[in-house]
Amino acid sequence: MPEKKENKAEEKKKKGFGNLSRREFLKDAGLVIGGTTVGSIAFAAEAEPREPGTEGSIENAPDRMQSQETDRIELTVNGGKYSFRVEPNWSLRQLLRDEIGLTSPKDWCGGLGACGSCTVIMNGRPVLSCLTLAVECDGAVIETAEGIAKTKHPIIDAYIKWNAFQCGYCTPGFVTSAKALLDRNPSPTEADVRDALGGNLCRCGTYQQHPKAVLEAADIMKRS
Amino acid sequence: MKTWKKFAHVNARTIEDAAAVLREGNASIIAGGTDILGAMRFEILPEYPGVLVNLKSIPGLDYIKEEGGMLKIGALTRLEDIAKSDIVRKKYTALAEAAHRTASPHIREMGTIGGNICQLTRCWYFRNPDNRFNCLRKGGRKCYAITGENRYHSIFGAVKGCMAVNPSDTAPALVALNAKIKTNKRLIEAEKFWDMVKPGSTVLEPDELVTEIQVPLPAKGVKSSFIKFAIRSSIDFPVVNCASMIGKGEARICLNAVHNRPYRPENAEELIRGKSINEKSADVAGAAAVTKARALPGDRNKWKIQIARTMVKRSILACA
Repeated sequence: MPEKKENKAEEKKKKGFGNLSRREFLKDAGLVIGGTTVGSIAFAAEAEPREPGTEGSIENAPDRMQSQETDRIELTVNGGKYSFRVEPNWSLRQLLRDEIGLTSPKDWCGGLGACGSCTVIMNGRPVLSCLTLAVECDGAVIETAEGIAKTKHPIIDAYIKWNAFQCGYCTPGFVTSAKALLDRNPSPTEADVRDALGGNLCRCGTYQQHPKAVLEAADIMKRS
Repeated sequence: MKTWKKFAHVNARTIEDAAAVLREGNASIIAGGTDILGAMRFEILPEYPGVLVNLKSIPGLDYIKEEGGMLKIGALTRLEDIAKSDIVRKKYTALAEAAHRTASPHIREMGTIGGNICQLTRCWYFRNPDNRFNCLRKGGRKCYAITGENRYHSIFGAVKGCMAVNPSDTAPALVALNAKIKTNKRLIEAEKFWDMVKPGSTVLEPDELVTEIQVPLPAKGVKSSFIKFAIRSSIDFPVVNCASMIGKGEARICLNAVHNRPYRPENAEELIRGKSINEKSADVAGAAAVTKARALPGDRNKWKIQIARTMVKRSILACA
């Protein structure tokens, strides 16, 4: 009896994906999708973040961004200087993701300012990059979750230790909001943390863990 | 994410610059951007602005100072800065608390006090994407909320037929504190600042901009408070909020999100003026505050009457 079962399972395998592993199958499927839709999907997944100092050019931008009316802005992102020609209707989030390749500012609520998952630190303030116009960021100093991770900020380890995420989609928004709080207030109370993270939503419901992680990060910073 | 339709962007250097662009028409101003950019993204304005005039580039409009017996706040001051200011927290408690309870921390870091008092209504017929409901505020003939889904709408009747409510948290605090709003043309009493115009909610002329908020220093012994009821306390617009300033024979109470304009329940003020504040007197005043309140047909917003009554009571008790 056990033999029969095995045979059936093998047959099913052959009918379905042949000898392909799941990984190989996904790779092939990805190629087909990548070939038929806009290249920007592949770009977002594979491209490395743009190096600082290089100039973003509008010629490389997707068609919908082509226009005559552009403004030049210079900004500092995660310590690197960038210069771009931007259109008035670009959001900061669009600039960070599509032009610089930093994918940590997420889109969840669709640009309503209701979820906090696109939070970046701009001139020391935690702001929503989906409701900030890129043209108004001339001269701004911006920090994203990538920049915080690169500096090995204690908040990263504290978040891992306390499992302050499940699916992780909202995490960059939480981390940037928490870092902005710690920058201004190195010894926050739990109420301060809850207050500062009040605009960040998490559908997995990890809210209980965030104050623990942030308070631990504050402790580590004070000790070092 | 929906992207914005095309528009031009200008950085104003002076208030007069910005007013000049507004006079040409088809333009809108942007400060914190949290209201106008949302409204533009979902195309809820009857006329999509062709030009956005940035006010953040105007120097000297971001300040909190005490001068000549009053608090002066620049129109571009962020709500978070007002909420954290020691002067405002100590002497103008209602305003600090109102600024602190507005929206989420990120929006408070971006949004300005000038924008907060001038924001558009959150009525979901007005806010429905792509102008799906041509309501009164958009030049239509009908207020859809009267017969439609109106659980958050006005309990004190319509203004010019519109049942939407004013969603600002700082507005009732400014009315209770008897503030004045300075524009590039005149000085307006906070109480007379709001009205139902199409599509906005203030009495400002098309080329008029708020430049400063002036709040007189409350007399010694006078206390002020602000209290808010929202579905999620950390982020939502108010279902009902209430600010009070009581003491020394004076009483000013202002409810918001219950009417098209911030609403002063004058009979409640009379009942508490000069009296001692206790559980009983606050309860009586709370009941008096809603004697004129009426639910809309279908009673879907009747729950707000009970909340308004309790908000008035609690904000009076907070001034004890």
